[in-house]
Amino acid sequence: MVTAYNAAVAVTALLLIALVHRVGARTILGAGLLVFFLASLACSLAGSLPFLIAARCVQGAGAALLLAGSLPVLGALTGSVPRGAAVWTLAGTFGIALGPALGGVLTQVFDWRAIFAAQAPVAALGLVAALAAPRSVALEEGWRSSLTRTWPANVCLGLLFGALVGVLFLAVLLVITVWGYSPIAGAGIVSVLPVATLASRPLGRRLSGLTAICGGAALVAAGLVALALLPSPSAWLAAAALAFCGVGLGLAVPTLSGAALDPDAGLARSGTFTVGVRHLGLVLALASIAPLLATELPTAGRQAKLRAATVLLDAPVGLSTKVPVALDLAGEFERARAGEIPDLAKPFDDHGAGSDPNLAATRDTLVRTIEETITRAFRPAFLFSSALAALALAVALFARRRVLE
Amino acid sequence: MTTRLTFGAAVLLMLLAAVSALVGVELGKGAARSVSPPLAKPCQARAPFTGGGIDGLIQRIVLDGLDGAACRLGTTREELVLSLRSGTGIRAGHADQTTVEAAIRAGLVRSVDEAERRGDIPSFLAPAVRRLVETVPLAKLIQGGISLGGLLR
Repeated sequence: MVTAYNAAVAVTALLLIALVHRVGARTILGAGLLVFFLASLACSLAGSLPFLIAARCVQGAGAALLLAGSLPVLGALTGSVPRGAAVWTLAGTFGIALGPALGGVLTQVFDWRAIFAAQAPVAALGLVAALAAPRSVALEEGWRSSLTRTWPANVCLGLLFGALVGVLFLAVLLVITVWGYSPIAGAGIVSVLPVATLASRPLGRRLSGLTAICGGAALVAAGLVALALLPSPSAWLAAAALAFCGVGLGLAVPTLSGAALDPDAGLARSGTFTVGVRHLGLVLALASIAPLLATELPTAGRQAKLRAATVLLDAPVGLSTKVPVALDLAGEFERARAGEIPDLAKPFDDHGAGSDPNLAATRDTLVRTIEETITRAFRPAFLFSSALAALALAVALFARRRVLE
Repeated sequence: MTTRLTFGAAVLLMLLAAVSALVGVELGKGAARSVSPPLAKPCQARAPFTGGGIDGLIQRIVLDGLDGAACRLGTTREELVLSLRSGTGIRAGHADQTTVEAAIRAGLVRSVDEAERRGDIPSFLAPAVRRLVETVPLAKLIQGGISLGGLLR
């Protein structure tokens, strides 16, 4: 579903490049907000997964339109291209960092539908504002026909967005699905990311463009290595790693986004190109990481079961407790949905772990062993994401003049 | 201007040092070590179960027996135990039910021999235990072991 949405954004944005300068920015923005609003409503009312995926694709197309149209409109509203681009970039960077945390809170407090139900009024407000904006809101489109100049910065941006798959999606999956945190508690951990992104703004202003890009990409790469090397489930270590990723994101993405825009080639056109490349990076990374996880997780699941069997067989607990606990545990595994870790503590608690210290110690060892084994199955995917950030750093260093041209 | 840049660069360097320290902490906490307990190889000798009493003795015999059976079948004790639970009959890897049962009985007999040698089972009782292991259906044997362990604990 995440891939479908981002693929729709990427494809629509890349197709729009040829058209965007022929249609007014306000029209594109208005159309995008309308499509996004209707698709968000459809998502919130979806009754089946295929319908939801289809609605998410339409929503992605709407997002591409509104992102393409909003840049020139913001430029005109703020009175200058750099100011408009700065607002556009900051909103994009902060929004993508905030999304998972906000989604987690809405899911737990209400329902997953609330995520889309909350998006609809925001899009409606945007639509009203766009319609109410003065008609003079339009910037002269540029004269340069080629977007070649922006390629290096866009490649860096695409790679960095690819790396964000590790920060945004894998981290959420790990914290909520594997470690068993509730969506709100998970959001609490992941919210370190947008906070760090915002907090890094003053630092970003003190650095040269190249230093901000390279330092930011290095921090994202290193933060992802730290996520890959999590030795066991630890909210503190994960939050610390995410904080470094957030700072890296806040340093590199705004500068790169600014460099990726070429007003001389048309603000709407170069903005659309950037949106397309960013989401293409996300989609390609998702497409690469999904098979990695699909290979690693079942293997880790089997290893976790075998290690759990070792823990239980060797536990200093009587047979009359050990065997029923083992049978109940096996039942929990059978009942768990694919990709979910069952409630491992329950069989122990049901058989008296509250009053039997040996059984309680066995429970804790078994839970830790399984969570550690599955946590480490994420390692290749995090390292792959880190490699993408490192590649962005290498491209920025190699083509430093062209990146910041 | 130069001072501002230097200060920013210094903060950036500190952040890079801090993230390196975080990776160091993770390595110190065992990130590079494999998850414990390691998955034992078939036929690898293990320390015997240390529990006391009749329950401990039964577990020692059963676990040793499972180790022996797993070794004969070319699998691990854990894989064998998980296959017993599968509900599709006693199977392990490509071995059929008869082969698995024979391996488990042979493993248990060897384990009883070891227990007798260690003095865990009196010599006059060992032949009877061996006979039980060789003749009683496995499901009843397991259930009997659990009941006896619980009864005499």
